[in-house]
Amino acid sequence: MSSDLAFALRGVSAGAGNTFALRDVTFALPTGYVMGLIGANGAGKTTTIRCLLGMYPIDAGEIELLGHRAPEPVALRQDVGVVLDHTYLVGDWRLVEVERTLRPFYNRWDGARYRQLLDEFGLDPRAKVKDLSRGMAMKLMIAVALSHQARLLILDEPTSGLDPVSRDELIGIVGDFLLDEGHSVLFSTHITSDLDRIGDYLTILHGGRVVRTGTKDEILEAYRVVRGGPDDLDDRVGVELIGVRRTQTGAQALVRTEEADLLSGDVLVEPPTLEEIAVHIGARVPHRDPDHRADRRQPDSSMSARRVA
Amino acid sequence: MRVVLSNSAGLPLYQQVKEQLGTAILSGELGEGTVLPSVRALARDLRISVITTTRAYAELAAEGFIATVPGKGAFVLPLDSALVREQLLREVEGGLQAALDAARRAGLHREDLIQILDGLIQAEQYDAIQ
Amino acid sequence: MTTVARMAVLDLRTVWPYRYYSLAVFGLGVLVFASRPMWMVPGLVLLFTSQIAPYPFNVADKAGLETLYAVLPLSRRSVLYGHYAWATACFLVTATAGTALALAFARVQAVPLGDRTLVPMLTLSWALFAVNIAIQFPLLVRFGYTRVSVLGTTLPLAAVVGTVYKLQLNMVSIQNWLPLLGAAGVAAIVVSAAVATTVDRRRVRYGRSVSST
Repeated sequence: MSSDLAFALRGVSAGAGNTFALRDVTFALPTGYVMGLIGANGAGKTTTIRCLLGMYPIDAGEIELLGHRAPEPVALRQDVGVVLDHTYLVGDWRLVEVERTLRPFYNRWDGARYRQLLDEFGLDPRAKVKDLSRGMAMKLMIAVALSHQARLLILDEPTSGLDPVSRDELIGIVGDFLLDEGHSVLFSTHITSDLDRIGDYLTILHGGRVVRTGTKDEILEAYRVVRGGPDDLDDRVGVELIGVRRTQTGAQALVRTEEADLLSGDVLVEPPTLEEIAVHIGARVPHRDPDHRADRRQPDSSMSARRVA
Repeated sequence: MRVVLSNSAGLPLYQQVKEQLGTAILSGELGEGTVLPSVRALARDLRISVITTTRAYAELAAEGFIATVPGKGAFVLPLDSALVREQLLREVEGGLQAALDAARRAGLHREDLIQILDGLIQAEQYDAIQ
Repeated sequence: MTTVARMAVLDLRTVWPYRYYSLAVFGLGVLVFASRPMWMVPGLVLLFTSQIAPYPFNVADKAGLETLYAVLPLSRRSVLYGHYAWATACFLVTATAGTALALAFARVQAVPLGDRTLVPMLTLSWALFAVNIAIQFPLLVRFGYTRVSVLGTTLPLAAVVGTVYKLQLNMVSIQNWLPLLGAAGVAAIVVSAAVATTVDRRRVRYGRSVSST
């Protein structure tokens, strides 16, 4: 039991036989940082989060949350705030009622903080939950999470459907939350620009598997984007071209950095953006059969639970 | 304290932070003993990751510019003349190397370069007198 | 306040925005039985309480409250037992208000209404209500309100009422059975709660390869 990890998943498999199954998922986040969980829709982000929160049964592996092995004590939920892409409250509750309703369950509920946050976020306490826009609803759920002094904030696609201003506000809120080094954030999204700057760690999911996990810098270093003419990138070279995209005028793919040197010819090799990594990995056809031959490698794991600084 | 990050600088963010703080310290803008924001506060203000600011501070500390005190933050160390000199020498070398590369592309010789250097020094002295 | 009680209060707050509708139904029931005070309590219990007791399941289904229950520091058992506590509280409130109203109406109509009628009526109401909930709630927990729907919530009721009617009970004949009826009601709820925790579709089971803490 390591208490310097916000959470850890080790060899987690879930939902066998379902479309959104997870296979051998392993990654962890040290306390005090924000991890981005990136993947296309259907990659398994939401399933992973539900497993982490004990809302979905796992078939194999183990889960650790805030230092406790699953099944965690119910009291641990005092420390966890959950923000989803939909509110899970009664639509006809007014925001003041939300506080009255949730307060009795939390030991450390700070009513003054809740009211202050509503004010800061521009939310009318008399408004009903169902009248909130997506952005406002997301901020409400964050206000709830912050008001009960959560240590771990889990955000499942909080920015999808949000305008850029609201998305930017959320980034600011996450930054404020992380001022306390005992706070950690898991942020799942398919919008990579959210995490371009503030992401400390990243986990890339595809087809229910972890493609890569580690610090953002490690991951950006692990790949190169290669661009060339239509015939410059072909499979004979023996380099795995990830998510290759061919047009009449050229071809573009992602390759692992260590393989980039094997490419000959007139190809342009550059460090990728996070978006390019996500797009090319997401373009691969996910392999779900256990004995697939084309994808020889194990999930790359440059992740270790080391502390930075 | 002033840190301005560029998206298109081509330089990694941690390096931009490190260099801007380093420059400010060398120029005296951030004097000895100045308390710097915590890595987290800086990350929050600049909207970058904590790991980035941590790395910038770590490298500044390794080079002797700042000291970090766990739980208290970071502060600027007195400028160690040897350290400063080393840093500045590195900058001179870097600048001269860049000039050499450009000169080669322009087809200039050593004499041309020296001429330009003398011209610049003279111009500075002229400005100083004014 | 125990967690179960807090959950019951959460159920109350869940239906609170819709209280006017519920009060209207209550009022209607009162009107219907105003001329038959003896049947006020059973009538209200069957018309009103049997609707309001499962109401939180209805709202929960539409609002996704199961996620809320999973996020709150609230064990699954507390959630389920809390639903039963809410239902029981609904009965107690209805029985109290119904009795008071029955007595008032009886007084106004100069109809005799004493313990020998009231107590069997209360006990009978309790038994009917408890059996109804006992059948209904595990279904709601297993399948959710939307799938069980109105049919699922009224069929047990109809079955129970029909059985009672067939048995042609009158107040004198059941005098001796009162303690048994009361206990049967309690037993029905206890058994039902146990069944509910077993069939709970939201209970997360971990695979054998996971060692428990």
